[in-house]
Amino acid sequence: MIPLPKVLIVDDEADYLAIAAHIAAKAGCAVITAAAALKGVELAESDPPSLILLDVGLPDISGFEAARRMRRIPALARTPIIFFTVRSELDMVSEGLKLGAAGYVLKPFDPDDLSRRIKAAVFPA
Amino acid sequence: MKTYAAACVTAAAGTGAFLESALEGFRLKFYASAGAFLKSSPRGLIIIDAALPDMSGRDLVAVLRGDKKTAGLLLVLTGAGPYSPAAAALSLENGADEYFAFPPDARLFRARLLNLLARRGPGARAAEKPAEYSIGALKISPEARTASVGAARVRLTALEFDLLLYFLKNQGRVVSRTVLLERVWRQGLEAGPRAVDKRIEALRSRLGKFGSKIRTVFGIGYIFKL
Repeated sequence: MIPLPKVLIVDDEADYLAIAAHIAAKAGCAVITAAAALKGVELAESDPPSLILLDVGLPDISGFEAARRMRRIPALARTPIIFFTVRSELDMVSEGLKLGAAGYVLKPFDPDDLSRRIKAAVFPA
Repeated sequence: MKTYAAACVTAAAGTGAFLESALEGFRLKFYASAGAFLKSSPRGLIIIDAALPDMSGRDLVAVLRGDKKTAGLLLVLTGAGPYSPAAAALSLENGADEYFAFPPDARLFRARLLNLLARRGPGARAAEKPAEYSIGALKISPEARTASVGAARVRLTALEFDLLLYFLKNQGRVVSRTVLLERVWRQGLEAGPRAVDKRIEALRSRLGKFGSKIRTVFGIGYIFKL
């Protein structure tokens, strides 16, 4: 049996974590979660996922810093990262996309849009 | 004839070909993603595809409209057809100057953009807020803080009105109870998630048939969807 693509979701807001996990599971993915950035980096390094959904305002280090650390890990250098955040300032969005993010989704989000982005990242055409 | 310029943010080859043909004589510059576009210095008229590879066009419009450096841009959002009045209204309410379902009639598209440029001029957009939100028979005036269904006034408490307005501004998006407590209750999370549920129930009942448009999502949040 082909294993399901794995999505790591890092978010300290339990509600959004649960909604995103539900959407990713419905899109056909196995889901692992973390409520803090450093835990997310650790999980991603020990078991590299196919996609990382990363909040920006996390309690320990920012999602941007977490993304930089993940990019330095060879197995994660090309893993798609989608930022998933309330931070809608132009400078923040520009910085996130400059980090090479595959996507930048503003919260509150459109569930259909998030589902499409997850599928496009883990099941590329 | 004056030569106009436009930045086109789209990854769809069909949309690009349409724009080149409909806007013949314009100086067009194409960007295949929000990230590529944001590295430029946005000016004047910007045509944004609703489905970009790295961001939704609606989110990009909200980001550009929210920053003082880019708030004055002329923003035109294009969505995949067929035309939906709800998608058009939502795009305009979220800050787009125009919305088109693709492919629109080329002559009408060009005429409307020329009118927009002539009336406002690039960079001349005032930060306007809609005077009234209207969804079928449901009308909400943020200024007067009134809501009505048809001719009947809907009596809402201040909190219920704020909730309704928040839902209208975030149509089609999942809103968690935590976010509602932070953004609408304002005093923070002390009120607790049950307070949100109870107030939503009250709002649904006051809105009559429109109440069912506020749907529960997975038991942890809500979505206002037409």
